[in-house]
Amino acid sequence: MKNKSSRREFVKRSAAVVAGAIVLPQIIPSSALGMGRRIAPSDRIVIGAIGTGSQGMSNMRDFLGLKNGVQFVAVCDVDALHLAKAKETVDTAYKNSDCRTYGDYREFLEKEKLDAVSIALPDHWHGIIYSAAANKKLNVYGEKPICRTIKDGQNIVNSVKKNNIIWQTGSWQRSQPHFHRGAELAINGRVGKIKYIEVGLPDGNKGIGTPPVKDVPAELNWEMWLGPALKVPYRGVSHWDWRWILDYSGGQLTDWAGHHIDIANWGAGLEHTGPAEISGAGVYPVEGIFNVPVEYDFLCKYANGIEMRVANASRLPLGMGTTWHGDLGWVHVDRGNVISASDPKILNEVIGENEIRLYKSENHWQNFIDCVRSGKPAIAPVEVAYRAISVALLGEIAMTTGQTIKWDPDKEEIIGNPVASRLLNRPYRQPWTLPTV
Amino acid sequence: MKKQYLFLIVIAGFLTFFSACKKETGFKTLIITGQNNHNWKASSPILKQILDETGLFTSEIMITPDKGGDMSTFSPDFSKYKLVVLDYNGDSWSDKVKAGFTEYVKNGGGVVIYHAADNSFPEWKEYNEMTGLGGWGNRSEKDGPYVYYKNNVLVTDTSAGPGGTHGKRREYLVKTRITDHPITKGLPSRWLHGNDELYSLLRGPAKNMQILATAFADSAAGGGTMRDEPMLMTITYGNGRIFHTAMGHADEDGGPAMQCAGFITTLQRGAEWAVTGSVTQPVPSDFPSPAGTVLRSDYKEMTLEEAMANIGGYDIAKSTKYLTCLQSHIRNLAGDTQGLLNLEKMIVKVLNNSEATVEAKKLLLRELSWMGSDYSVPAIKDLTSNAELKDEAEFALSRLQTK
Repeated sequence: MKNKSSRREFVKRSAAVVAGAIVLPQIIPSSALGMGRRIAPSDRIVIGAIGTGSQGMSNMRDFLGLKNGVQFVAVCDVDALHLAKAKETVDTAYKNSDCRTYGDYREFLEKEKLDAVSIALPDHWHGIIYSAAANKKLNVYGEKPICRTIKDGQNIVNSVKKNNIIWQTGSWQRSQPHFHRGAELAINGRVGKIKYIEVGLPDGNKGIGTPPVKDVPAELNWEMWLGPALKVPYRGVSHWDWRWILDYSGGQLTDWAGHHIDIANWGAGLEHTGPAEISGAGVYPVEGIFNVPVEYDFLCKYANGIEMRVANASRLPLGMGTTWHGDLGWVHVDRGNVISASDPKILNEVIGENEIRLYKSENHWQNFIDCVRSGKPAIAPVEVAYRAISVALLGEIAMTTGQTIKWDPDKEEIIGNPVASRLLNRPYRQPWTLPTV
Repeated sequence: MKKQYLFLIVIAGFLTFFSACKKETGFKTLIITGQNNHNWKASSPILKQILDETGLFTSEIMITPDKGGDMSTFSPDFSKYKLVVLDYNGDSWSDKVKAGFTEYVKNGGGVVIYHAADNSFPEWKEYNEMTGLGGWGNRSEKDGPYVYYKNNVLVTDTSAGPGGTHGKRREYLVKTRITDHPITKGLPSRWLHGNDELYSLLRGPAKNMQILATAFADSAAGGGTMRDEPMLMTITYGNGRIFHTAMGHADEDGGPAMQCAGFITTLQRGAEWAVTGSVTQPVPSDFPSPAGTVLRSDYKEMTLEEAMANIGGYDIAKSTKYLTCLQSHIRNLAGDTQGLLNLEKMIVKVLNNSEATVEAKKLLLRELSWMGSDYSVPAIKDLTSNAELKDEAEFALSRLQTK
């Protein structure tokens, strides 16, 4: 409540009047105008960005490209060079120099009055910052995978629900017509009853061995980059390559779970549940600081009898993508507009009006902005994202322990295995804690 | 007194008996070498060590006369052996020896064709049927098709041209093509091999042959066919099984191609399959992945004891191989409480060792955080007062004490 009143203190600033630019007398978050969740279509969504590395900038460009879209007012990053580039991008787009910059997300969240925030960070930061943004009642466009651990994920889901914000996960494949089409064919039984799903994600890469410890570059706040993760010496590895280190990511497996596993769940009606049993094995580098599995292959059994195999592409007959196998055939989807089927006739099937029609979005970023305006759920809501990454995280636990893991998808607990259950959580380094809901 | 002596004699008798039994369980193996365009003096003892190391084989090396020598003096009795390993690329054998070898294989004898042995005997039809594919020795379309993968499709290519080539030596990614064969079951679908010649353009009868693994001969990496060339093959001939590895080019000291844990493991597994048709050896903890090559300087797999004896010396500039060996053992225990407790005790010993480095203890605390038990709690609590280890110790305690 206190939070809400402070949001009514409008930020009053004059925008630079530049020929050709859209002139706004004031950039005020529309949601602060006492209209509740609904925002008039003519109003721009006032947005900021936390994390302006490669994916954060890619999202920013997508948002800036929307016709009736957003107004970026502030950016935040622990790397001063990234931050400067982000500000330059925003300022160039608006032909002014108004974009504010922050090196600490806490200050950003405290000072900025926004409708929404676009967040793209290494996974180990997701639990804290997604929850904190939700607690500030900001609508969030958040990158997948939405969490590094199941515990982080549960906290994020609860924070989003409790604060009743609009959430969009960066699972943009949902907004591509052929993925939508494949999922709609699958869920409407065009391959028969779904028995088995195969999900192929990228193969792991070559390692970099053990690079020497280096001085932290002046532009990087290494302590803040690490945040809740255990302190390690800087070896020149941070941006992008964090995804090959278990402290921050689970590798290609968790990086891509929010794409092809998410699509698999969508087409099989598994979006709001999880597997009952998970078993499999990974191949781990024998040495070097990159320690995520470079091969992975595990099988998930669901209570309804469906089985889902998740593996790196080289291990699967159809390679990358999602394949739903039913008792009448299969449909396969992948990036690059790939959609194929056991019988090409399946692809010509018409889905009737009274059948299951999956949520349709033409543009993933526009969908988020539209939903922030309308107050309707976005195409990739938070719980669905949590269920997609849970599959990968449970697979990771099965591979780490070498055990078959039994999971209760309703209670969201590992059954009868206190040792494996410890891997549901990755404790934070002091003084960091998960924001309570 | 007499009784005691008798007892000792009986014991000694038993020991002799058991050791004799043990010896006989090793498949008698003959490694033939003595002529090769490669360094056979280096490679053959290494092959012997690699095979004998498994405990499955008892091998002996037979050296042929030198090149141009009197080959009639070379007349092995193949029937004494379960496995014949050819590290040989040289003068033709006598007709009698050839016939004896063919008979041996037909009757179910096992064979390993190693690297340049597939260059040998271009004129010997039966031998080429055993190797499936060969190279050099004026091999051409008359000897059979090229066989390779192109865009993941198996190609049998009868076009004219020479057999056998390789570009510059390089590390290369080996791709498993048949994952459910006894030899390849449980191996990664791709793994990086130590610096080696990448045999290409092999051609031959290719009858009754399965290609288990290939490697892409990338022209950008110092010359290559831009095809996925066969690296590991199995062939059946009569009742005999042949394992053919195109890898393992030997340097003076063996070198990276032979030290590669992937080469060693596939050779050991291939040899067992050639004898029995199945493989009982587990995949070693250090089998390479696509992430990097794994070279064994002594051709042996690291033991857990070795890993735990060395892990305390870990420092930030050093290899993490001892840790990953431990992790592999943890995974293999698959939740066996007693087994994990034994490992936990070994880990706690290192934590309590003042000689062990802070960096080693940091890594071990991360492992204990999930696989440990109440047993380690006191040792971990002790470390919370150590400024350098406080974070890791708290991390471990927090996880271990999760309700």
